[in-house]
Amino acid sequence: MAIKFNEVAFTYQKGTPFESQALHDINLEIEDGSFTAIVGHTGSGKSTLLQHLNGLLKPTEGEIQIGEQIITPETPNKALNNLRKQVGIVFQFPEAQLFEETVIKDVAFAPKNFGKTESEAEAIAAKMLQLVGLPESIYQQSPFDLSGGQMRRVAIAGILAMEPKILVLDEPTAGLDPRGRVDMMAMFEELHREQNLTIILVTHQMDDVANYADHAIIMSKGTIIKSGTPRAVFSEPDFLLNNHLNVPTTTLFSKKLTEKGFSFANMPLTEAELADDLVALLSRKGGHDANE
Amino acid sequence: MNKLILGRYIAGDSLIHRLDPRAKLVLSFYFVGIIFMANNWQSFSMLLIFTLGCILASKISLSFFLKGVRPLIWLIIFTVALQMLFSSGGQMYWHWGIFKISEFGVTNGLYIFCRFILIIFMSTLLTLSTAPLQLADAIESLLKPLKAIKFPVYEIALMLSIALRFVPTLMDETAKIMNAQRARGVNFGQGSLIKQMQSIIPLLIPLFVSSFNRAEDLAIAMESRGYQGGEGRTKYRVLKWQTTDTMAFVLFAVVTVALVYLKN
Repeated sequence: MAIKFNEVAFTYQKGTPFESQALHDINLEIEDGSFTAIVGHTGSGKSTLLQHLNGLLKPTEGEIQIGEQIITPETPNKALNNLRKQVGIVFQFPEAQLFEETVIKDVAFAPKNFGKTESEAEAIAAKMLQLVGLPESIYQQSPFDLSGGQMRRVAIAGILAMEPKILVLDEPTAGLDPRGRVDMMAMFEELHREQNLTIILVTHQMDDVANYADHAIIMSKGTIIKSGTPRAVFSEPDFLLNNHLNVPTTTLFSKKLTEKGFSFANMPLTEAELADDLVALLSRKGGHDANE
Repeated sequence: MNKLILGRYIAGDSLIHRLDPRAKLVLSFYFVGIIFMANNWQSFSMLLIFTLGCILASKISLSFFLKGVRPLIWLIIFTVALQMLFSSGGQMYWHWGIFKISEFGVTNGLYIFCRFILIIFMSTLLTLSTAPLQLADAIESLLKPLKAIKFPVYEIALMLSIALRFVPTLMDETAKIMNAQRARGVNFGQGSLIKQMQSIIPLLIPLFVSSFNRAEDLAIAMESRGYQGGEGRTKYRVLKWQTTDTMAFVLFAVVTVALVYLKN
């Protein structure tokens, strides 16, 4: 399912003294089957934007098209239920949403809400738990007895169990150790490749954007300030740094190298690319220059 | 959730904001007491003008106060309707079975309406212009004499401050978990009563879990910073009684005298 935002704006508590505008002039297009990363500071409107993707919030201006469905400020709330099933959102620290007695029941909760029978739901749940890499021995345990990383996997399985077409991830690796981060991102990459899920990832980790995404959206102060392929976005590191945003470690390293006199045809995006470029450059320049 | 106006502090630097919270607390309760002395239109209009004057002095927009009335509007309408329909006396305008609208009933209904408005406005003014923690400090300070009879003043005050401090945190948390569960197909406030009650469980259990976790973290944080009860503990915010606070008391005394003079 493709997503299209047309001149979308959102104001919290519109028409009250607490009114505050969170989004304005949002135009974006997310293609079916793509891996999109949204980056921006805290308060740049990322989370508000996410909640528009499954109709938790409706735009106060403009129009959103998700698949066949069009959402305008006038769309009745009832019409949004179907959308919730199509777009699964994994919120920040999703382990906070666990509540059932056993892991399997918690994962089966969403499919049951969307009309599956108990046994169908548990079958889907078992499949998804396997997909997120949890052993069968924990299915009957209380989710509150698990480790933090496992709890998060259970919560993610709980969203996958809805069998959504679009998976939205709000900082899914926040608070995990470096190993957990890599594992988690590898899992999403696999889901993207094998299940052909459209993935939208909100993150502060520019390295993840460089490594996994094929489309990057940069937000600031409630609107999109840049959008394109990660290569295009990171090819001007100064633009990001001037907006107080990080760039991938590789880009930063290459930028420092360029200041020292190296020149790259294309700004390398990933470690592998940087290594290849360096090998090529160094062999041309000879060992003597490399010591600089 | 944001409809809950009571307990929502609006920062400011007006005369009312700067009053000692103890003075504001005592005077608000006192005002609620003297409202019941008013019993004719002169006395009610005087109180109404006085309350509006206080609101004006706080420099907080009147719309916040009107919003405070909204959650209670059904209670008000119900009480006023009860008064209007069931009390008799004076000229009778309309009657049907046990229901009647009489002159006496109408005036009584109006007075009750005014009382409600005055009480809500004044208590809203207190909570809008006083930070919750200031209020907790004020309660602690006012309860201090009770220490003589071994009443755990510090502990009560600490519990109160912690409770007040975590109201916004819990509200945020509630909103977050509601969103997460709605994304999993829960429809809050839809369907049959039983369905609605069931939909509370996925909200309440995570809230309990996170509150207990938070309580434990807080206890550890407090102990590691050397908290060992209230005895001998100094305060960062020290309450200071000023001339304006005394003036406020004098003003309320004047209002009381005027009220006694105006009422029947």
